[in-house]
Amino acid sequence: MSTLTRESAIPYTGPAPTNREPYVPTDAPKTDQRGAELAALLGAQQERGQDLPTLVVDKERIVDALRALKNEHRFTLPLDLWGVDYPSREKRFDVMYQLYSLERNERLRLKVRLGENETMDSATAVYKGFDWFEREAFDMFGMRFDGHPNLRRILTHEAFQGHALRKDYDPAQRWLCTEKDVAQLIPKIDPRFANVDTDYERVTLNLGPSHPATHGTLRIVVTLDGEMIIGAEQEIGYLHRCFEKSCETHTYQQAIPFTDRLNYMSAIINNVGYCMAVEKLLGIEAPSRAQYARLVLSEFMRIADHLVCIGTNLVDMGALTNFWYLFQPREEIYGLIESCCGARLLPTYTRIGGLAVDVPPDFLANAQRLVNMLPKYIDDVEKLVDRNKIFLDRVKGIAPISPEDALDFGFTGPCLRACGIPFDVRKTNPYIGYETYDWDVPIAEGGDTYARYLVRMEEMRQSLRILQQAIDRGLPPGPVMVDNPYVALPPKEKVYNEMESLIYHFKLIMHGIQPPVGETYFQVEGGNGELGFYIVSDGTKNPYRVRSRPPCFAIYQAYGQMITGQTIPDAIAALGSLNIIAGELDR
Amino acid sequence: MPIERVKPGVVRVVPRKLTFAERVYLPRVVAGMFLTLRHLLYNLINYKKLPIISYPEVKRVYSERFRGRHILTTREDGTTRCVACYMCSTACPAECITIEAGEDERTREKFPVRYDIDLLRCVFCGYCVDACPEDAIYMTRDYEMAIDTRARAVVGLRDLVVPPNFPVEPMGWRPYYGPLEKKGTAGGTGLGQPLREAPFEDDSTPPNPDLYRGA
Repeated sequence: MSTLTRESAIPYTGPAPTNREPYVPTDAPKTDQRGAELAALLGAQQERGQDLPTLVVDKERIVDALRALKNEHRFTLPLDLWGVDYPSREKRFDVMYQLYSLERNERLRLKVRLGENETMDSATAVYKGFDWFEREAFDMFGMRFDGHPNLRRILTHEAFQGHALRKDYDPAQRWLCTEKDVAQLIPKIDPRFANVDTDYERVTLNLGPSHPATHGTLRIVVTLDGEMIIGAEQEIGYLHRCFEKSCETHTYQQAIPFTDRLNYMSAIINNVGYCMAVEKLLGIEAPSRAQYARLVLSEFMRIADHLVCIGTNLVDMGALTNFWYLFQPREEIYGLIESCCGARLLPTYTRIGGLAVDVPPDFLANAQRLVNMLPKYIDDVEKLVDRNKIFLDRVKGIAPISPEDALDFGFTGPCLRACGIPFDVRKTNPYIGYETYDWDVPIAEGGDTYARYLVRMEEMRQSLRILQQAIDRGLPPGPVMVDNPYVALPPKEKVYNEMESLIYHFKLIMHGIQPPVGETYFQVEGGNGELGFYIVSDGTKNPYRVRSRPPCFAIYQAYGQMITGQTIPDAIAALGSLNIIAGELDR
Repeated sequence: MPIERVKPGVVRVVPRKLTFAERVYLPRVVAGMFLTLRHLLYNLINYKKLPIISYPEVKRVYSERFRGRHILTTREDGTTRCVACYMCSTACPAECITIEAGEDERTREKFPVRYDIDLLRCVFCGYCVDACPEDAIYMTRDYEMAIDTRARAVVGLRDLVVPPNFPVEPMGWRPYYGPLEKKGTAGGTGLGQPLREAPFEDDSTPPNPDLYRGA
């Protein structure tokens, strides 16, 4: 009584898993060529066959190389700095730099090989933005950077022993931080105010980590002269939960729920970014129906992210009504997400190779209803605050940052666009079909809280434009998962009725997806900037290293500088406008 | 807010110039009051349309994909469909499922003697449902899981197993939607098939799976 028919016994004829063969990116010839040019200019070695031009620089020459890249080759945006540990190698660490050139729309990766007991020069003298990234590399790997102004732990606490992302660190250890371990933080007083003599006493004040106005577990220590902040330092890591280490001990699929918890305000964008990074490594592409759903839901999530940001920012300034007006459509957006995947805040909707399940039949009708109702709510808020003198006085000229500083700190997303720099990953490196839609990148001048508000408001309208065009095009027909049993679980019908599919199903759950050996980086435009995932695969079911490039991290390190010279209420308003999400900041 | 085109694909948001009436601030505050008043009146007249749910008297009904508390389904004869294959606990990213397998004396089927889900560890991602090859674990639309001790967060077979023909209506995230023909895999593991007496008498005889599965 066998149900196994002749046809169903031969279900898949595509390529077999290639985990023994190295990963070859499709754009390798182009990046090799550009990498060779830059290597010749800088006198560095080149690593071939990568998805980005990759140079290997000696640790003595890295600062000179970075300076030359910044000043002569216009790599003005320091995107990321992170480490990778290869314990079996003679020089076990790779310190990785990623730079971006706005003029050429080009990315560059630099690698420095570093031994365990070696130190290297800090890049903070060239790019201010590498300050916290170097602290993170020190915290996670124990890499020491000479000349760093403040090289201490950033994500873990003072009582933590060892370096968590080293391969020989046992993740089962627990470290208890008691009150006496916590270092007293005294912020440096800004030189502009150091010698100003006022009648007031100087007070050091702790804002947070549990403070109703900080939207998450953020701690800011400020030194006040009267009401003016003359020195500020931010302390983070209260929500650190080892996202990157957890990925190393789980399979590729199991990391998708973890990415939900990065920027939980726009979780689908994180899902998409991570899944597309793994898909790039596997050399597969999700079907067009899945890409379409990813695009529509990403844009809805971006709108939801901005709604929360603007709504809570206005609450900080005492405008509670706007919060209710903006949260109503957000609620409806989460309803749409829930109808697709069964959860509102933490959807875990995408899978590597597509979507978990097809969108519901009424998806487009619901999306259209939302697109119709959203402008009314945005307009209402605009009417309330746009020409309101109280609001304008609270935001105009508050916590400004110059375009040069913003780039130097590694700003991306709405906060960079508020400085007048039109950098948007959806335009510069289009993915899931953004290039086929007619939309604009909004910018504003000034880089202050007001400019950030203006950019976000306009961005929601642009997202609505994309959504309206997408809805007009309609859902593409076809499946939502790739037809590859080494990546996608077979349909349940086959699992229940065919031995072949049951075996594939079993293999995929037990042995996971096994991408080819190699490394890759993929970036998406998150709610508050470029969200990137760098993945190293060693051919096994667990990623060797997952690095997420958190946009908040780069933005928040400039916060201390931005609020110096402002008052506490203005600092709160500025914090809301930066849209710092602790889940992403601390990972 | 007016926008002006800077170059293709980039627009600049230009703040409006304030008129004298707007600069003296009181007129705009009054205008804002009128807007909120309009909302208030609209809501008072259409109070039935208010997006408010008087929980717990009224409860929100989530979609058929809602990922709530789990259940373990049963066959028509009352035995659990779960065959303790450990697929769900392997797929679980939160490592919240603990299974101990036992063997049915009568049918030689593997079945769970212990199946615990720690609901405080569970992240409700639905991976267990996707991983199950036996149609045994479903998620319901039940989202009320308040407990008073940590120990009560661990739910076992007694809480999870539902009677046969448990209505599909309260179900949430499930392995498939719509009708699906289940004939069982080649050889069959009992899905929808009546259970048969084991053809061997005692444990000393090594079980011959072909003999048992044949026919």
